[in-house]
Amino acid sequence: MSARTTHLDKGFATALSALSAAAKKGLGDPALAELVMMRGSQINACAFCLDMHVDIAVRNGETAKRIALLNAWAEAGDLYSERERAALALTEAVTVLTDGFVPDATYEAAAKHFDEAGLAHLIGVITVINSWNRVMVSRRTEPGGYAP
Amino acid sequence: MGYSGRTVDGMTTNENTAATEQNTEYLHEHTPRLDWHQLAPDVFKAMVRLDAAARKGVDPVILELVKIRASQINHCALCLDMHSKDALAAGESVERIIQLSAWEESRHFYTAREIAAIELTEAITVLTDGFVPDEVYERAAALFKEEELTQLIAAITVINAWNRFGVATRQAPGHYTAGDHK
Repeated sequence: MSARTTHLDKGFATALSALSAAAKKGLGDPALAELVMMRGSQINACAFCLDMHVDIAVRNGETAKRIALLNAWAEAGDLYSERERAALALTEAVTVLTDGFVPDATYEAAAKHFDEAGLAHLIGVITVINSWNRVMVSRRTEPGGYAP
Repeated sequence: MGYSGRTVDGMTTNENTAATEQNTEYLHEHTPRLDWHQLAPDVFKAMVRLDAAARKGVDPVILELVKIRASQINHCALCLDMHSKDALAAGESVERIIQLSAWEESRHFYTAREIAAIELTEAITVLTDGFVPDEVYERAAALFKEEELTQLIAAITVINAWNRFGVATRQAPGHYTAGDHK
């Protein structure tokens, strides 16, 4: 694979980190944030982000089974809670906008499990991982560079 | 609130059109799902700062084309309303905005740098179809200096972020006045 730029404006990187922190803090559920971050990164095929968020999830006590089955969460029975499933469905809808909008059913299912501020921050976390995915995939940042 | 006529910069542009519209019934305007600016003000402020950081060093003409093209692909009505109005107010032509979704067949409306930026925008916006192709990246890398290129990537990332907030919370288009968010 040909190398691409490793440059990223410091002001931009700092601002994106601040956005990440604000969205995660407002969601107030670090385990769920990592599930969302891993699922977004799977859909966008971001190797760097998957490496990083799998590492964080494991350190936070997430199980190997729940990480391995995340790609098939909809068929994984009660391995994920109803709240997590609603958040994962919303993650998929907001990540794949090119197929057309965010379905009412998906939005309403999420709205049942989160209050309005929680939902706004959940959309924030989904948007944040989509942003990191874009920055890392477009510059082809290699996985493994993340150190906690 | 409903649609109130075709306007550019807040002025009705065609009096004949305005006259016929008196008898035209437009569909009802939808209500946004969530007022995320109020519910997550910290996130909104961080987005505004991120936007400011990303636009540094990006050609303003290219920036608006990038924002319009990404918003077309992501179907963000609010963002299209905002960025088409901002582009027109900054002197962009109606023709170039309309042709943007068919740029592959209207390349002669744009410069080589603009086309490279638009191609890169599409690749980074539609990540789910698989990575950013080498030829797309290399065409952009040949025409933009490294710092310019990474700021272009940043700008593409940020409009994708605004698109996600706009679409997920179903913001209604039509109320933006050019220059409001500059």
